[in-house]
Amino acid sequence: MSVIRIKKYSSIANRSLQNILAYRISYVIGFLANFLNLLAIYFLWHGIYSGRESLGGYTWDQMKTYLLVTFLANAVLSWYSETSISGKILDGSVAADLLKPIDFQTARFAETLGSSLLEGTLSAVLIGVFLLFTSGVSVPHSPLVYGLFAVSLLAAMLVKFGVVYLAALLCFWSTGSLGIVWTRIALTNLLSGALVPLAFFPGWLEKLALWLPFQSIIHTPTMIFLQQAESWEALKLIGIQCFWGVALWIAGKFMWNWAVRQVTIHGG
Amino acid sequence: MSLSRMFYLYKKMYSQQLKAILEYNKDFYILMFSAALTQVLGFIFLWVIYDRIPDINGWKFWEVTFMYAMIFLTEGIASLFFEGTWRMSRLVNQGELDRYLLRPVPVVLQIFCTGIGINGLGNVLIGGVIVWQSLVHSNLEWSLTKIAIILLLLITAVIIRVSINLAGNSAAFWIRNARNAFPLMVHNLADLAKYPITLFPQAIRIFISTALPYAFISYYPATYIFGKSEWSGWWMLAPVAAIGSAAAAYGIFRLGLLRYESTGN
Repeated sequence: MSVIRIKKYSSIANRSLQNILAYRISYVIGFLANFLNLLAIYFLWHGIYSGRESLGGYTWDQMKTYLLVTFLANAVLSWYSETSISGKILDGSVAADLLKPIDFQTARFAETLGSSLLEGTLSAVLIGVFLLFTSGVSVPHSPLVYGLFAVSLLAAMLVKFGVVYLAALLCFWSTGSLGIVWTRIALTNLLSGALVPLAFFPGWLEKLALWLPFQSIIHTPTMIFLQQAESWEALKLIGIQCFWGVALWIAGKFMWNWAVRQVTIHGG
Repeated sequence: MSLSRMFYLYKKMYSQQLKAILEYNKDFYILMFSAALTQVLGFIFLWVIYDRIPDINGWKFWEVTFMYAMIFLTEGIASLFFEGTWRMSRLVNQGELDRYLLRPVPVVLQIFCTGIGINGLGNVLIGGVIVWQSLVHSNLEWSLTKIAIILLLLITAVIIRVSINLAGNSAAFWIRNARNAFPLMVHNLADLAKYPITLFPQAIRIFISTALPYAFISYYPATYIFGKSEWSGWWMLAPVAAIGSAAAAYGIFRLGLLRYESTGN
């Protein structure tokens, strides 16, 4: 039984990967756009650090690493998976999903994993190119750190999926997704540390951010990769990530059960 | 066709769109709010940075916020009044452009009025407030000429912005794909002009001053307003950039239109 279940969802993941490959030119352009954004941010920080040793406890070399890790963590779950969930709700094709013997949430997660595979590989390649042209990026040496980092990146994905899924379900009540998506992106960027490391925030804002789930998405992976959290501390952080991942998953289940009762689908 | 006639037609078509958009008002507020929020969070980013350092490359907090807000302000105006450029890929892919070609009204004008991006209102409001605050906090010496020049620079900035949008979205004639991300990439390059262009390598500086003259929306006006002596006089190129980009955008659009071949149903 469980083998069949895994097969079911892995074929969904595969389909989502194929879907991206079919629209590859647009996908690559979209990806390049993100990369240009990274360049802009890189040079901005370069200017900020000119003539300064360290800021907010980060040296320029550490900040470079921070930016690259942020790019990677952001890229593995991007715009693409976001719009496909809300799109289903808005155009009513969710009605067909209700009839299928699969769990909506798991199926969407499988889809996300499928596209993340490609997104992760692509961004790893781009980061490699980037590293060729920059020097001084501090990279950890111990394999343990890489292992922990990989685990925390996976956990970060689960948390981000949770946030994205909850935001997408809000589309049951609205007629468009763009506003919700933008709000979600803006809040996540600020509170996860994607815009600026949380250590730069004024005390109260940093505390608030650390209490919210968003910090698991960027802040935790970067802490581990920059070795600002030693092994036990790192495990604790991953534990917090897992907590948020599971909590958001359950919240998503509840919200889904409540939201499907709101469905109004016109014609067909 | 005379200018006043075009303006009249624009007003007519625009008010029809306005009626349509007011039907979905829940979305309306969410969009406006989200656009404003995005901008405010970027502002917080700058504020957090400047809390720790006095200047970036000689640029002070309120000078950078001016550049930052100009990008959003012009984007807001463009999406409020010229949002239609963003619907071009749909118009081309679904053959809806046929209708426009049959009417005795300039096609570009009809495209401009194909939609209203109500999120622009949020951008215009917050962008306007930040620009205003930037001017207030910078101890400027005001004169009538200065006000006139600032207004001129604002107008050229909007023209440049809309022209780039039109040119970027004309890619729809070449890339026939409903998920064409090329215009978005062109649009995102404006991010480079949110900050002083001196931060960037020479190649990028030249690129955003010539090929995609985003720097004339934010940076060059800022050098004039805040009296950066090493760049004095550069703002005078802004009208040239505006006329050049408008002409180029229209040229690209006409060229694309020649390639247009409906959908066949």
